Amino acid sequence: MPSPAELLGRVVEFIGDILGASSLRFEIGPTLVVLGVVLVLLQLVARPISRWVTSDAAGLAGVGRAMALAAESGTDAVVSLGGAGITRTSDALGRLQTLAALPILGHVARAAARSGVPLRVLTNDPIAGVMAAATVDAAHASTATLERQGRSRIVMVGEGRPTIAGLAMTTRARPAAAFALGSLREEALLHLDGMRGGAGSLVTASAEAAQASSLVLGGGAALIGPEPYQAGADLRSSVEERTMVMAANRLIGLAVTVLVIGSLLALAGIVDLGHFVAGT
Amino acid sequence: MSRPTLAALILVVGMLLLADLLVVNSALDALAGIVVNAVILVAAGAALAAVGALGVRRIGDLWRRRGDPVGAVLVLVGMGAVLVAGLRPGSAGTNDPAVQWLVAALLVPIAATLFGLLFVTTLGAARRSLATRSREATVLVSAALVTTILLIPLSGSTGAWLAGAAGWSLAVPIGAVFRGLLIGIALLAAVYATRALLGMGAADE
Repeated sequence: MPSPAELLGRVVEFIGDILGASSLRFEIGPTLVVLGVVLVLLQLVARPISRWVTSDAAGLAGVGRAMALAAESGTDAVVSLGGAGITRTSDALGRLQTLAALPILGHVARAAARSGVPLRVLTNDPIAGVMAAATVDAAHASTATLERQGRSRIVMVGEGRPTIAGLAMTTRARPAAAFALGSLREEALLHLDGMRGGAGSLVTASAEAAQASSLVLGGGAALIGPEPYQAGADLRSSVEERTMVMAANRLIGLAVTVLVIGSLLALAGIVDLGHFVAGT
Repeated sequence: MSRPTLAALILVVGMLLLADLLVVNSALDALAGIVVNAVILVAAGAALAAVGALGVRRIGDLWRRRGDPVGAVLVLVGMGAVLVAGLRPGSAGTNDPAVQWLVAALLVPIAATLFGLLFVTTLGAARRSLATRSREATVLVSAALVTTILLIPLSGSTGAWLAGAAGWSLAVPIGAVFRGLLIGIALLAAVYATRALLGMGAADE
């Protein structure tokens, strides 16, 4: 029984032997053209950004229902963009999380616009506030609800991570749905505790590895680790696109399974793939 | 600005900054410097406008007797104190002792007080998570309890065994999960940053 390393080595050796015994059917130019066409087709069928992700980890597909409940109860929804912002004295990873939160904000804003629910967006950074305002405006424009635009507002809470956490803890508003998206660090649990208090539902998303436990303890649905970056690709409203991505995933999984089984059978000497594939 | 123009602008700036990172060229360096300085100026202008809007909003709250009057007064007094300390004649700006005192004696202790609530908040969150029977939270709290037991400072062979087990749990299972999380975050952050630099929008935009 070979060890996993030996098995991997034999697989690599087997593939190397096949490649070593092969030659291009066409010249390099036509080969690259063919490969390019295949890649373009793959891009059209299933964009790589969502090839591996078709789940709904944080229940973002159910945002519409949460907004319908908010509309019925006459309350609003609140979105916090975390403590990093864009131009604050934070690191690049924190800023990137704020950028990654904007597509999710757009998704929430569209659902809120359709349901006529006012949206409050909390941020501690002016540029993030401007970008959030543009995202909310675009959501109203895309849903043809410009008359409701004035009901939503962007709240600049002031400078600092403790500031936004403190506001979340002390606010007396009870939104129907709360979303904490972006960089959450040492203040994460305070921030989430404040957001959760009185809210009908809570969705959290942060790529801070050290705060993964805070997101789990904070309650509600959570996007943890790399998931906030994937969520933007997972917010497709088109059923056809999601179905095509899922179908492509199945095909890729099937191809990988066949490759692995074939390699194991060849290594075990049960079948001679070289003879089967190349007739040698 | 229309979306295609904005996307083209982002693409041009992104490619310029990438090229400046990869190629050593004085003209390119100067051009990238102009772009970066322009971004800093815009950000500074937006920051000033946002702070001004915050002040106006709070004054409006007091004037119209809406919202939280105590909070509005505190915000305005805080803004006024920092402005007076930093802008009064003869002040050294952000390095002025008065400004530094406001930060060191007021802001930092207030923030520390807030973080002091974390202990209670964490215990409350753990209790609430167990009450809701969340599977992930139950595993998390159980692992935390086991780790806490392993970290009990005991002497003798039992203490040595506990310390060894604590070290092993930190290096192997916890370390493996944490590294996996970090690798995943790093990969997708790189992809997302590349997409941002190249002006590629999110899928549902």
